[in-house]
Amino acid sequence: MIPYTDDALRMLSQRLMQQTVPELPSAYSQSDALLIGMLMNAIADEVAHGIDRRCKDIEQLKLLLTKGAIYYEAGEIVDRELLNLSLSEVNLLRDQLIRALEALHTCVEQSDLPGADVLSVEIWQYYEDMVARHRITAAG
Amino acid sequence: MLTHAELGLKIAEYLAGKWQQPVLLIHLEKIFGGASRETYRIELKVSGEPRSVIVRRDPATSLIDTERELEYRAYEAVCATDIPVPEPLFLENDPHVLERPFSVMQAVNGCETDAGILNAEQKQQIGSQKYELLGRLVNKDPIALGFHRFMTVPELNHCAERELDYWEHVIDTDEIHPQPIVRAAVRWLRRNMPTPPTKLAIVHGDFRTGNFLFKPASGIKAVLDWEMCHLGDPLEDLAWSFDPLWNWGEPGYAGRLITHDKAIALWEKSSGLKVNLQAFRWWRIFAAVKGIAIWISSSEDFKNGQSKDSILAMAGWLMTDRQNQILLDYLSPHSSHQLSGITQ
Repeated sequence: MIPYTDDALRMLSQRLMQQTVPELPSAYSQSDALLIGMLMNAIADEVAHGIDRRCKDIEQLKLLLTKGAIYYEAGEIVDRELLNLSLSEVNLLRDQLIRALEALHTCVEQSDLPGADVLSVEIWQYYEDMVARHRITAAG
Repeated sequence: MLTHAELGLKIAEYLAGKWQQPVLLIHLEKIFGGASRETYRIELKVSGEPRSVIVRRDPATSLIDTERELEYRAYEAVCATDIPVPEPLFLENDPHVLERPFSVMQAVNGCETDAGILNAEQKQQIGSQKYELLGRLVNKDPIALGFHRFMTVPELNHCAERELDYWEHVIDTDEIHPQPIVRAAVRWLRRNMPTPPTKLAIVHGDFRTGNFLFKPASGIKAVLDWEMCHLGDPLEDLAWSFDPLWNWGEPGYAGRLITHDKAIALWEKSSGLKVNLQAFRWWRIFAAVKGIAIWISSSEDFKNGQSKDSILAMAGWLMTDRQNQILLDYLSPHSSHQLSGITQ
């Protein structure tokens, strides 16, 4: 049993990069294994924080879509609740909400209604928050 | 599936047939990072004389969906000019020889690709040569070199739209998760189409530090990786070479070599063209969109393709992350570095 999966991945990555890589016979396989080790560290970070990051995205996305209902009606997706906290379920809802946000942003950009510019700035703020939240940490 | 040893022997046998001389395999090494093709460096003895070749074999999956024929013909056409490229030797489309089609090039020996090894003076020298070379490439007449025989010749006023359509289609086709930032960037590009170029140029398509071979003391010896070559706007390669992805951590330095101002001045002098600032801004934002399209494509290849190459995973994840940061820097109203000029 590995209760702390992220730590286990980091330790295995460290072992791969420090002990296995020097034993590999070709420069190609050494470079490949080093990159795999680096990716394992990034995946460890995702294992630890990925669901939380996506849930924060979902919360922010729902707020924006509710606020933007006069420009684009996203429908029932805004009220949909997560059935569970599995990665596939969280990804599914997040992806659906982001697609709705893309449609909202397009409508906002084309709108002459008052407040459209302000909402566009808020959507860009969401993009900034999203990128900052999901920034990859691959250091060992 | 062929083992490395079998692959080497089959290549030696193939070349012996082509050259009608005895060919002995000395060493075969797979080169890391060739994500669009499997790349092998092969040391041979041909009638007793040492010779090195590079073999690029179609992968089971690829970072860039490219046409090997087009790339090979581009090498052939450019090889006849003063732009240094490895000499193309053979293009083999028969998949039975090495299980997949491949091409063979003359190796360029004793060279480097990593600019990180250069001292400040060498960076100036090689950076200057890089942009002088790009200006010279822009100056070539693609029709006189026969490019129209193997690639589409776009109308001048369709160059930008054509490229944007192509890469948006890649995003549409390969996107696994929605990418709202690049979609916003595509909409921005469509609302702000650039003025057409004054001339049609050969666009390398991936002209950046890392895609040329150099010797630190004597400069650039070969420009590589022409798989995204096409005809288009002369500003496209210049903008791509300025993408912050290629100078991460060293903003303002084109490909970590020379300042943007100096690169533009050298390019303008060599090409005889002036950089249209508005159009150049468009092409820089386009470059980031094209980058994301490539990284999205590599994610799709990693998820659904056969190879599971670590490069594909890295490109699809880390590069998308960075390229999103770049687009935010260019377009977000919250950014303090919005791309208003050409030298940022």
